[in-house]
Amino acid sequence: MTPDRLSDLLTEDLARDSLAELSGSTITGLTRLSGGANNETWRLNLGDSPLILRRRPFSADSVAALEGSILGLPLADEAAVLTLANETAVPVPRIYRIFDATHPIGEAYLMGYIEGESIPQHWLTDERFGSARANLARQCGEALAHIHAIDCARLPVGIPPTTLAARFAATQKRLHAFGDVSPVMQLGLNWLIDHAPADTGNVLLHGDFRTGNLLVDEAGLAGVLDWELTHQGPAGEDLGYLCATVWRFGQLDKPVGGFGDYEDLLTGYESVAGWAPDMATLKYWEVFAALSWGLVCQTMGALWHSGQGDVERAAVARRRSEAEIDILLLIDEWESQHHG
Amino acid sequence: MDNPKPVASEVSTAELLGAVKRFLVEAASPALSGRDRFNARVSANVLGIIEREAALGPQLAALDRDAIAKWLPEQADGLDAAQAFARALASRSIAPDPALMSYLQARQLLVCAINNPRYASLTIAQSRWHEAATESESMPTQI
Repeated sequence: MTPDRLSDLLTEDLARDSLAELSGSTITGLTRLSGGANNETWRLNLGDSPLILRRRPFSADSVAALEGSILGLPLADEAAVLTLANETAVPVPRIYRIFDATHPIGEAYLMGYIEGESIPQHWLTDERFGSARANLARQCGEALAHIHAIDCARLPVGIPPTTLAARFAATQKRLHAFGDVSPVMQLGLNWLIDHAPADTGNVLLHGDFRTGNLLVDEAGLAGVLDWELTHQGPAGEDLGYLCATVWRFGQLDKPVGGFGDYEDLLTGYESVAGWAPDMATLKYWEVFAALSWGLVCQTMGALWHSGQGDVERAAVARRRSEAEIDILLLIDEWESQHHG
Repeated sequence: MDNPKPVASEVSTAELLGAVKRFLVEAASPALSGRDRFNARVSANVLGIIEREAALGPQLAALDRDAIAKWLPEQADGLDAAQAFARALASRSIAPDPALMSYLQARQLLVCAINNPRYASLTIAQSRWHEAATESESMPTQI
């Protein structure tokens, strides 16, 4: 959809039913922000208020046949979770309007704009963010504990309780559906099944809590974005995910997101939750996160093969090799620690 | 695999790839904006993948051929090794013993070097697994 068309549709909608909380009815400066392989993100101004529109540009039908889709939730469910998170101490944008798939705009929602840096290369190494980085791992631990404390009974029905066994079965089905093209992905899944932790119950997980999806300012964590993979699961999953090698953006000596240390993350988590997972659990979920990244890459490849997406999507499919090398490294390290 | 190299021109495939890459990075990308500019750079990286696959592909194919002969000799010639091993692991009919792990590691070093040679884990994996390979060569055969 062209920016002009999108701008017209939004203007029309807001003229019919204005946002009581915000003044102004003129939309200006609608621009698509780069990044985001699944959903589009647009920035705009309504009068003087900066807003963000999240929009799903394609139908998910082409991959709907794949059980346990990791393309993400309906955007309406994502918005519902954001509304719940807004009641906690977690910094998240306020939701103003939700459009369903039947609206001419398509599946989308309109939310507030939070000031901050999201692009990892802009804040991971810049001196200006030095003190922000020093606080960040602890703040992330606190934020995750707050998210995990959200009452799962209040979630939309689209975010049901899960078991690890069911998720492994779905993952196996996906690997078969993708043509069993990777022995390392299969090895990773086998290993995760064989080393699965005892059932620790479900909490609400952000599901994609990592560098790149965090807004950072000079004081530290300014916003938690990109809730499209939110789901229920064991608490350790979100913590290990944040430490996954692929999300360290090359800063491997800083295991928490490329900016922090394990100890600070776990201390922050424990200060709110009253407990924290141990290191072995965290490492287990790092393997899980690597496999998840590999599945995302494979899904991008499948989408591209179905004719949806541009050259970036085709290129992301090749990044599965990052997930694979991390799976092998993590298992190798685990084996030498536990049997060596 | 050992066909004589076709000589269609004095300008080699590698040189053509290099020329297109330079065009994308130096001319196209700066002239474009937004998504197209980004995708021009992505496209230049994709040409890099093609270049490296051409260079390292034969080594990967040889490694896979040996592995199929060693572990899955009943599998027909020309079968995709990655798929054969993925299916054998899925059915748990092959065990991830140290020898198989060594093959998967060696294979992955090549795959990653083709697809993303700048990925930070690759350097770590290279030193970890190359050292391991050197050690085991100097030791009696492991069972």
